Amino acid sequence: MQKNEEEYGGAPLSAYASAGQPSSKVLEIENLRKVHVRNNGKQQEDLVVIESVNFSVNEGEFVTIIGPSGCGKSTLLNIIAGLESHNGGDIVVRGHRVPSTGPDIVMIFQEDALFPWLTVLDNVAFGLRRKGISKSERRRIAMQYIELVQLGHFADSYVHQLSGGMKQRVSIARGLSMNPRVLLMDEPFGALDYRTREILQQQIQEIHAKTKKTILFVTHDVREAVSLGDRVILLTHRPSKIKQQYVVDLPRPRSSEDPQLHGLINIIQKELKEEIKYAGTDVGNEII
Amino acid sequence: MQEQMLETKSSERSESKPRRFDYTAVLDIAIGFGLFLAAWQAVFMLKYKPSYLLPSPYMVGERLVQLAQSGALETSTLITLERLAAGFSISIAIGVAVGLLMVNFKRFGRAMGSFCVGLQSYPSIAWVPFAILLVGLNNEGIIFVVVISSAFSMMLSTYSGIRNIPPIYIKAGRNMGQSRISLFKNVMLPASYPSLITGVRQTWSFAWHALIGAEILMASIGLGALLEFGANFARMDQIIAAMVMIFLIGFLVDKLLFWKIEDRIRTTRGLNVIQK
Ligand SMILES: Nc1ncnc2c1ncn2[C@@H]1O[C@H](COP(=O)(O)OP(=O)(O)OP(=O)(O)O)[C@@H](O)[C@H]1O
Ligand SMILES: [Mg+2]
Repeated sequence: MQKNEEEYGGAPLSAYASAGQPSSKVLEIENLRKVHVRNNGKQQEDLVVIESVNFSVNEGEFVTIIGPSGCGKSTLLNIIAGLESHNGGDIVVRGHRVPSTGPDIVMIFQEDALFPWLTVLDNVAFGLRRKGISKSERRRIAMQYIELVQLGHFADSYVHQLSGGMKQRVSIARGLSMNPRVLLMDEPFGALDYRTREILQQQIQEIHAKTKKTILFVTHDVREAVSLGDRVILLTHRPSKIKQQYVVDLPRPRSSEDPQLHGLINIIQKELKEEIKYAGTDVGNEII
Repeated sequence: MQEQMLETKSSERSESKPRRFDYTAVLDIAIGFGLFLAAWQAVFMLKYKPSYLLPSPYMVGERLVQLAQSGALETSTLITLERLAAGFSISIAIGVAVGLLMVNFKRFGRAMGSFCVGLQSYPSIAWVPFAILLVGLNNEGIIFVVVISSAFSMMLSTYSGIRNIPPIYIKAGRNMGQSRISLFKNVMLPASYPSLITGVRQTWSFAWHALIGAEILMASIGLGALLEFGANFARMDQIIAAMVMIFLIGFLVDKLLFWKIEDRIRTTRGLNVIQK
C-alpha cells in the first residue's frame, strides 16, 4: 500500500522488518491526543499523556505495543475501547468514528475484571447478553469458549476459586466469545509466573491462528512483544508518541532460540531502556 | 508440557459436596443459654430480692404459658411483627429509592448525605412526641416513628454501597456493551449486594429498636405494650416474659435470616477469609 511509509512514521525499519501485506484496515488511530487532569490535593494539573499518536491495524493482525511504565498504554487502550474520552484526533473503526463503547471492540483488562458474583460460565455468557439470545444459547456459546481456554471443568466455579492464570483465561474466553472486530489486551499476563505465562502465550497464539482475530496487545516485556506480534509498536516515555515500529516477519510457531528473534529483542530492549531512562528523569522533575 | 499442567489443574477441582451442618456451633449457643439460665436461677435462689421483683426462670416460663393460653402472647407478637414488617419494608423502599436519587444527582446526594448522618444518630424515642401530634397516637404514628428512625440508615448504605463499587466492574460492563439499565441491574446492583445487605441488617436493627420504644409509649397492644402493662401492674414475670419474646425475635431474624443471606453472599464471592 502506498501509505506504508507514512504509516510507519517514515522511520527506517530494522533489518528484520518488511512492509506489511496489503490488507484492509480495521482500526486507525489518527493524531490521538490525551490530557489527564490530575487532582493532587488542592491543585489541578494537566498531564499530557498521549501526544499525536498515529497508527493503524490490519484485519487479522496481531500488534503488540510496548513502552515504559506509566507512558499511557492503558490509557490508549481505554480510549480505543471507548471507555475514556480523548482530547484530540480520531479513532476510526472500519471507516467509522467510534461513537461509544460497543461489542465491536472488546478489552481484556490489566486488572481482574471478572464479576465475583457469577460463575465462570455466567461470566463468559455475560458478554453475549444484549444480543437477544436466550440464556441457554448464551451458555452454550460460552461453554465453547471456556473449553477453548481449557477450563471446562471449572465452568461452575466462582471466580475466587480460580488461580490468577485461570482468571486470565476466563477473561480471554469472555473477550473472544463476544466475537469482537478487535480484541484489546492490556498486559494480560503481566501478573503471572513465568511458566503460566509461557503456556498462555502459546495459547493466545493458537487462538489467534484459529480465530484470525485482530489483536492489539500491550505488554512491558520485550520478549513477549516480539514473540507474539506480527508488528511491535514502541512508545516513548510520556507524553507518548510512537518511537518506532518493527515488523516481525518470522514464521510461527516461533522458537525462543531463533537468533533473528534474539537480535530484534536486543534492538528493542536498547531503545526501550533509553525511554525508561527518560521516564525516570521525568518523574524526578515532577516531584520538584 | 502444556497439556500436562492443564490436566493436573483440572483434576484438582473439588468434588461438590453439600455443606455439612455445623452441630458444634449450635451446641455452643445452647451451652451459652444454659449457663445464663443457671446463673439466673442461682441469683434467684440467693433470695437477694423478693420473688415478685426477681422471679425464677420457671416462673417466667409459667407466665409465658399463661399469656400464650389466653391468646395475649399471640396477639401481641403478631401485631408487633406486623408493624415491624410494615415499617421495615417502607424504610427499605424509601431508603433505596432516595439512595439511588442521591447517587444520580450529585449535589442532592452531597446535601442529603450529611443530613442523613445527623438524622441516623437521632434517638428514635425523641420522635415520639412529634409523631403523636403529627400523625396521632395510633398504629400509623408508631410506624411513622419506625420509618423515620430507620430509613436514613438505608439511604446512606445504598448511597455509599453504589458509590463504592470498584470502577473496573462498571468499565467491564460498559465494555461488554450493556445498556444503562442492564448495567444498573446486572452489574451495579449485584456488585453492591455485600454493602446493601449490611445496610439492610443495620436498618432492621434501627427499626426494631424504634418499634419497641414507640410501642411502650404509644401502643395499647403489642410486645412493647405488654412490657408497659407489666410495669404498671408490677408484674415482673410478665415484663421478663415480654423481654424474652423481644430477644427471641431479634435473635431469630438476625441470626437465621440476615446472617444467612450475608454469609451466602460473602461465601460465593470468597470474602469469608477469616473464619467465624
Ligand atoms: N484517571 C486518571 N487521572 C489522572 N491521571 C491518570 C489517570 N489515569 C492514568 N493517569 C496517568 O496517566 C499516565 C499513564 O497511565 P497509564 O495507566 O495509561 O500507564 P501505562 O502505560 O498503562 O502504565 P503501566 O505499564 O504501568 O500499566 C500515568 O502517569 C498516570 O499517572
Ligand atoms: Mg497499564
